[in-house]
Amino acid sequence: MLLKLSFSSMRKRFKDYLVLLFGLTISIAIFYMFETLAQNKTFIEANSMISSIVFVFHVGTFILGAITVFYIFYATSFMLTLRQKEMGMYMTLGAKKHKITQLMFFETFFIGLISLVVGLVIGFGLAKGIAELFMWQLDFNGEGFQSFYLSSIITTVIFYIILFLLTSIVNAWKISRKSVLSLLHAEQKQDFVKTKGSRTFFGVLLAVILIGVGYYAMVNIARFMQLGLILAAVTIIIGTYLVFIAFLPYFVKRLKQNRTLNEKGINSFTLGQLRFRMLNLTKVLGTVAMLVALGLGAMTAGISFYHNIEKQASTFHANDVVIHQPSKEDTEALAEMNVTEKNVYHYKVDGDGVYFLKKDLLVNPPLIKHSDETFELPETTRVEESLPEDNYMLYGENDANRLPELWSTAIRTEMNASYQLFGAKDIYVYGTSEYQNIVSDEQQVILATVDDFKNYLPQLEIINQNQLELAETYRDDDVENAGNTKYSNYIAFKAIASGTIFMGFFLGVAFLMMMASVLMFKLLSSAASDIHRYSMLRKIGVRKSLLVKSIYRELFLLFLFPALVGLVHVIVGMQMFSFIIIEPYLKIWIPISIFIVIYGIYYWITVQMYKRIVLPKEV
Amino acid sequence: MMNQTVVNVKDIHKVFGKRNENQYHALSGVTFDIKAGEFVGIMGPSGAGKTTLLNVISTLDKPTDGTIEIAGTNITSMKQGQLADFRSEQLGFIFQDFNLLENLTIYENIALPLSLQGVPSRKIKPSVVEVAKKLGIETILEKYPVTVSGGQKQRAAAARALVHEPAIILADEPTGALDSKSAKSLMDAMVHLNENHDVSIMMVTHDPLSASYCERILFIHDGSLYKEIHRDGSRSEFHHQILDVLADFAE
Repeated sequence: MLLKLSFSSMRKRFKDYLVLLFGLTISIAIFYMFETLAQNKTFIEANSMISSIVFVFHVGTFILGAITVFYIFYATSFMLTLRQKEMGMYMTLGAKKHKITQLMFFETFFIGLISLVVGLVIGFGLAKGIAELFMWQLDFNGEGFQSFYLSSIITTVIFYIILFLLTSIVNAWKISRKSVLSLLHAEQKQDFVKTKGSRTFFGVLLAVILIGVGYYAMVNIARFMQLGLILAAVTIIIGTYLVFIAFLPYFVKRLKQNRTLNEKGINSFTLGQLRFRMLNLTKVLGTVAMLVALGLGAMTAGISFYHNIEKQASTFHANDVVIHQPSKEDTEALAEMNVTEKNVYHYKVDGDGVYFLKKDLLVNPPLIKHSDETFELPETTRVEESLPEDNYMLYGENDANRLPELWSTAIRTEMNASYQLFGAKDIYVYGTSEYQNIVSDEQQVILATVDDFKNYLPQLEIINQNQLELAETYRDDDVENAGNTKYSNYIAFKAIASGTIFMGFFLGVAFLMMMASVLMFKLLSSAASDIHRYSMLRKIGVRKSLLVKSIYRELFLLFLFPALVGLVHVIVGMQMFSFIIIEPYLKIWIPISIFIVIYGIYYWITVQMYKRIVLPKEV
Repeated sequence: MMNQTVVNVKDIHKVFGKRNENQYHALSGVTFDIKAGEFVGIMGPSGAGKTTLLNVISTLDKPTDGTIEIAGTNITSMKQGQLADFRSEQLGFIFQDFNLLENLTIYENIALPLSLQGVPSRKIKPSVVEVAKKLGIETILEKYPVTVSGGQKQRAAAARALVHEPAIILADEPTGALDSKSAKSLMDAMVHLNENHDVSIMMVTHDPLSASYCERILFIHDGSLYKEIHRDGSRSEFHHQILDVLADFAE
């Protein structure tokens, strides 16, 4: 009988439950999405530039798991607040306490099971949809990625069943401890904040120390390796929650103590709302901050890899384009580029060797990448070594005619005079008279730099193709690689980086979506109790525009704090990648802007929904 | 001063429900005045239209017909924003369930109307302390509403209603949620404000004992003015007079 009653009342409050279901479902879907990547070892190992990527995903699972536990407990306790008044009513009508306890247990578990099924289906759909979108965008085939991944399903089901069992027990236990009266009047109860000075101080101190340790471990990841990653994950999660538990309420309290600020217009109310909400919100804000950090971090890392492809590709090449024996097609392709420097060098090829004309080299010395003894990255310089001898040989055996180091770099690397292009030929640099004695047609090689390398990928592709054909004529073979050029490096790096970018975006979007549903709970679980406050303010004559302003401000601050904390985590966290990415902060404004836009939209929607709930209807 | 009219209600009607539907006349042609410095009670059985009357006078609702002037201003033709400003400047509210903002201290609650009017912070404190002294709550200013008694909450609400020196205080069952001792003490405080500080008060109540503190009582029945009585003698005589009128309703 009670079960029937409870189902009918759940149907009546379907809208509230829909929100709860939505929240749980998103959480499950995101967890599943994450696991499709995390458990697909073959895929992530094949597509990552980081050797310990599998381990990184283990840490990710741990972080996501920890956040999920917080989140699910929060969401199901929201369910308790939905139900407690009615449970109290049943008890006044004579329902036994153990019946109510049982009922609460089954209801929580039932909701959990429904959301598990729906969540898995949605997670499967999302994984498939998002994966396909990004693969298409990144021109990445993503071989081995499976949106339906059995072992991930099993993990998700086990994890959530345990979690729902626990929360059901907790909900049942909570309701069994409450008296009938406190259940009936649950909605009228007010929470009350006390910030004790000493506890706040130690809380803030501990937060600073923990986050400091975590940051230190991240910045020095090369030294601490996997241990550092675990350390950072644990300390930063705890530290972040502590910031919101100890520091923020204290901060708002201090703001309130500023009389001039507090007693201006509706500020005292706005700050009062903030301060009183802090206690309930500490966990949510901490969770949002961590999700922001994870989502933004994943996206930033992905984008950073992407933008570093060109950097990485140009580590050893100063020139963007090298064309041997340009065809008409090559010349046309080059003409389409905005060339910033172009040099032409002449050479001859016979059966034994390739002979470069020394005069050309000395008249227009090429740019090369050169690093001195330090481990700094090579820098672009112009070759200034003199060539006093008549003739030189690239790998000459005696010191006299061995080509000096910088010239050697220029010819081997920049001009790509390599085995891959010319086959087994020796490379020489000849003085004018000897050069003219070689009986062979004169050829030329063009070196050029352009304004924006990535703009000309189609043209470079054409040139690369022609160079391959040229190599085939010298090597009598099917040639897949005509030597190292900036373009060939770029293509190779891109192939590897696409996997990493894919994972970064996939996870980034997943985490940001989860964040949205967390915020939605914040909105819904607190808005109802605010209705009477706003209606009272209206009665004493606060203009609607002022109320709206207060809502915008209050929610803005609530959105701002976790975003700031998350952002700082990301900026420091990017240091972790500095040993594989040349410039981890290159174009960091892109992911940050994406994040700000997404976050801004959430903020705006949240304000609109909140307004609709709390603002009194005008006559 | 005593002859100036604070509230002038002229032939107001309030009809709920649209035309062609089941219409309900909550008020049908109510007319009365309240003079400056008067303490007027509104009584009547449940459903008589007391709350509707209070709502239209307090500008929270609009009458279907008729005019209401408060402190010389016709409020029936004002816009929402103007009404809000009008409420915050000219009206003070005391509600049955206190309606204090429990996320603000008593001090902040009382200061709120002044903050809203843009009174500078340095001028707020003296006003708040002064009004708190009048109502005997100056020692609990830094506390939050949940930590003080119902009587103290209602005094705080009265202080908030008073702090910006409104033209009139509108009280809706102010003693409804109080025990008899707190109720008596609140009514004493209101009489004190009325007599010594010339505060005009209009109070809606069910409770004959609370009503006996008024100078004049308007009885409403089925949306119309039914009877009006004045206090001439002692409070207990007036109490009996009120009980007699209420007894009439029962018949």
